[in-house]
Amino acid sequence: MKVAILYGTESGNAELLCDDIKDEIGEEHDCEISSLADVTPADLEPETFYIFVTATHGNGDLPANAAGFRDTLEEERPDLSEINFAIFGLGDMVFAETFNQGSEKLMTELLACKAQQVGERGIHDASTGEPPEDIALPWVRACFDGLLAKAA
Amino acid sequence: MPGLAPGHRAEAVTPRIAIVGSGPAGCYVAQALRKALPEAEISVLDRLCVPYGLVRYGVAPDHQGTKGVTRQFARLFERQDVDFLGNIEVGRDIALEELRGAMHAVVIATGLYADRRLGVPGDDLPGVYGSGAITRAWNGHPDSDVAPSFGGRVAVIGNGNVAADVVRLLAKAAGDFAGSDVAAALIGEAVEEIHVIGRGSLAAAKFDVAMLKEIAALSGVRCDLAEGDSIAGPGEAETPIGAAMAEAVKQLRDASAKRIVFHAGWTVARVEADGERVAALTLRRPDGSAEKRLACDSVITAIGFDDDGAIDRASLLQDASADGVLAPGLFAAGWFRRGSQGTIPENRTDAQEVAAAVAAWLSDGTHEDRPGRKVLLDRLGERITTYRDWLAIDAAETDAAEPDRCRRKLRTWSEMKDVIEKQRETA
Repeated sequence: MKVAILYGTESGNAELLCDDIKDEIGEEHDCEISSLADVTPADLEPETFYIFVTATHGNGDLPANAAGFRDTLEEERPDLSEINFAIFGLGDMVFAETFNQGSEKLMTELLACKAQQVGERGIHDASTGEPPEDIALPWVRACFDGLLAKAA
Repeated sequence: MPGLAPGHRAEAVTPRIAIVGSGPAGCYVAQALRKALPEAEISVLDRLCVPYGLVRYGVAPDHQGTKGVTRQFARLFERQDVDFLGNIEVGRDIALEELRGAMHAVVIATGLYADRRLGVPGDDLPGVYGSGAITRAWNGHPDSDVAPSFGGRVAVIGNGNVAADVVRLLAKAAGDFAGSDVAAALIGEAVEEIHVIGRGSLAAAKFDVAMLKEIAALSGVRCDLAEGDSIAGPGEAETPIGAAMAEAVKQLRDASAKRIVFHAGWTVARVEADGERVAALTLRRPDGSAEKRLACDSVITAIGFDDDGAIDRASLLQDASADGVLAPGLFAAGWFRRGSQGTIPENRTDAQEVAAAVAAWLSDGTHEDRPGRKVLLDRLGERITTYRDWLAIDAAETDAAEPDRCRRKLRTWSEMKDVIEKQRETA
């Protein structure tokens, strides 16, 4: 299957997690990692499965490289009903009030464009000290199970 | 050999690069350079025997999630063939010019170590501390010889995120440090009042909104405005930070809570002593229209950082270009280049620009072979600490952590040396 892993990052942590996800599923699937700055909603294709990985920045915002993508979803409301996606968010409960709002905002816009979400939004909390990949890799596996179940 | 095109150039020169400083700026430069130059020899030097600089010793010890950025940097040393060479001080162990002679490119990313002083009478009195020195003490820096004594009333000068870190760490109760690596002895439990002084209005304060909200959310803390001060100046527009400040001072808290008082629009005119030690500040409106006295037991300045003079920054920066080129083959990154502005992510963007300039310099194809890191290894040998040594220290620290802490830092070079020697014997 073609899989596109798209990241929104400020510190590089989300980009690194994409490398780990690609390592995990790259043998079975044709994976490509891209910055959300280099993709527009018009580029999305029905035959590709999209995995969004994004941090939260500032006061509950998306990282700068992901903001434009989200704005386009909001302003143009493209029809994404043929698009399957999963989304994983990086956050830090030290900043409790805005925890993981970046991934939440992106998910909300994707759903408003009728994109088909596979699995629940995955969440990592950096304040736990747990490596993000320990949460994200089992989550990715579960998403693929969900995708297969959906196809069947 | 099959597969080689005719005319293949067999002997390409391996680019050899040294990055001085293993903090976030240096590691981000290494990361971007590794992507651009898969074949290059990349060495990251540090004067300390452990890596990560500001992430380990400057980021607040209760922000362990922020310190998690080291996972990225660990990849460099574990999988991406970047070498960590610790316990090497450029200027002491090797002259900068000599290092430049051994390498095709040298990137200075040593940050800014020295606390900027207030520059007013009394700014060197006992009881006046720099935020960098205090943060290093809280973070168990091996050079830290400060045993701070805060007393009941602390004045914090500055309205940026470093000031916010200091205020939060002073305001927290012992129980708020679970999961951090702060040694219990360093917690300012006796602190009852924290006075935060900024020269501008609070609506223009440089605190991140999220940082202010984190302080306001502490259950044992109440935030107040100093009498007669307001959040916004006359006619000043509402800002996100101003709105967060208004929320913070509205919260009702019990009288036993520690008090944080924000003084907006004041500069420090002088620091006053009672005997030897600081006893008060005289604050003055920037236009000179009013003065007030603020009694305090200690003062922490958080008004920026300067270089410590170890490398002659001012003359190196004199002819610097916009993308961090100081001289042919010599580059600067991070705070050393830009001053003490910008968060860790902003320094990532900066580091990528500098790495691009390094790659451009190396790509002109006229470089002759250089000895590279071999010069350092030959001269300093076993004295150099390696990434493997760091892993042993890291493991020793995490193993020694108390139940509600994530690690217990080795605070001295001699403790670290013991762990390193043991590691090397068993290896």
